[in-house]
Amino acid sequence: MISKRLIAGSRIFARGYRPAGFEYINPINSRGPLKYGKDSPQYKVLSHTLAKSVPMYGFNERAIVNSLNELGYPSTMLSVIGSSNGPSFFHSSPALMELLKFHLVDKRLNLTENISLETPVDQLPSLEHLVIKRLEMNVPVAKHLSQLLSQLSIPGPFLVDYSMPELHRLSDDMIYFSTEKDHNDFAWYSKRLAVSCAYVSSELFMAQDRSPDYKETFEFAREKLHRVSTLGEYYNNTEEFAWYTLLSTINLVKSQLARG
Amino acid sequence: MLKNIIARTPIRRSFSALSSLKQIPSDGDKGSTQNLKYEPLSEAQEAYLDRVVRVDQAGELGADYIYAGQYFVLANKYPHLKPVLQHMWDQEIHHHNTFNTLQLKNRVRPSLITPLWKLGAFAMGAGTAIISPQAAMACTEAVETVIGGHYNEQLRCLTNQYELEKPDSSFGIPAEIKDLTSTIRQFRDDELEHLNTAIEYDSKKAVPYMLLTEGIKGICKVAIWTAERV
Repeated sequence: MISKRLIAGSRIFARGYRPAGFEYINPINSRGPLKYGKDSPQYKVLSHTLAKSVPMYGFNERAIVNSLNELGYPSTMLSVIGSSNGPSFFHSSPALMELLKFHLVDKRLNLTENISLETPVDQLPSLEHLVIKRLEMNVPVAKHLSQLLSQLSIPGPFLVDYSMPELHRLSDDMIYFSTEKDHNDFAWYSKRLAVSCAYVSSELFMAQDRSPDYKETFEFAREKLHRVSTLGEYYNNTEEFAWYTLLSTINLVKSQLARG
Repeated sequence: MLKNIIARTPIRRSFSALSSLKQIPSDGDKGSTQNLKYEPLSEAQEAYLDRVVRVDQAGELGADYIYAGQYFVLANKYPHLKPVLQHMWDQEIHHHNTFNTLQLKNRVRPSLITPLWKLGAFAMGAGTAIISPQAAMACTEAVETVIGGHYNEQLRCLTNQYELEKPDSSFGIPAEIKDLTSTIRQFRDDELEHLNTAIEYDSKKAVPYMLLTEGIKGICKVAIWTAERV
């Protein structure tokens, strides 16, 4: 069991091959960890909860029950909603875990839903635009963001299986669907890690932000992203300079040797 | 001959009203089955493709850097080897770029220890070249043998395991997989050509021949195993 968890932990970056979409029928479930489509009752309840009840009650079971009542479902639906999660001693109820998962996955998918895979590179949005857009999606639930973030960061299976992978999938999507340059080597990892860090710190900032319309959060996010890209530039310039110095040293040595 | 006879036999006449029934469904219909989409790839199939792209990218990166190392040491000392090495190196750069684009297009993560592959490959190329040009060729021989075998293994799996069903219960291989297969086939042939070149340029005369080739083969196999997973 523990070893299984450890393996799962090492899979934070794991993400399969994406086949060319136009050749295959869409799989019935192409919504990642959510096991239901957009026309299922679960989807209706959870999206209603996120849109209407969470701003009132916060991320807890009361919000889900409120939405169930408003939509006319029996409150026993609560156990159906949480059915894909095992019970956990240290975490919240299964239904609430599902709501957290839904918040992460559904908003991530909505972010890039309208960007077709065939879009030419110069028409893609910028990375900054996507990060800001994703943060804007948090505005309705922003008052309860600190509650959400603390739920997401409880150490345990949920963190390893959903919170962290979803965060990295989000930054992966944001890089893939933006004009940001992608990489073939270790920079692939460092860029994703940097974007994830920038995003999470902006969310943390947002949880504390009291400025009108969360203006300061967006400023903070822009600033943070800017700093990340400057850091990248610093690193690249240093590397280029080191490489240049190495090669010219070697050539100098060679020419001195040739003189005898 | 036979063809001509068949062509000349008159088509049997029948009532013109029935002729439409006899028409074999041709182009239009065929087009629609071709346009039908395939059932999605299974999880195992996607996982295998993920591995293939990652390990091949890492492998071609390695090959690229091995030749860079060899070229760095040998090009000026042995001018007759320069065009040979340049040719092989150029091909490896092309292979490397091809897999780089595939990796980005299919959103496969690159191998986590790419910096180690770069360093190791360059050291291997330069190290064997420092021993002697024959040792460098022996290194090429060993590497290309393992890579050729590995590509063959992949081709076997890609041609066997990717017959996908369409809704009209016909089977076929998606163009994406076909492209990948033909790319790998082409690259395998290139690698085997390098193997021949290496033998032509006296790889068998390298001094600790067995030690070098078997050692490098072992290293390559371990590297392949690791690059598939990490």
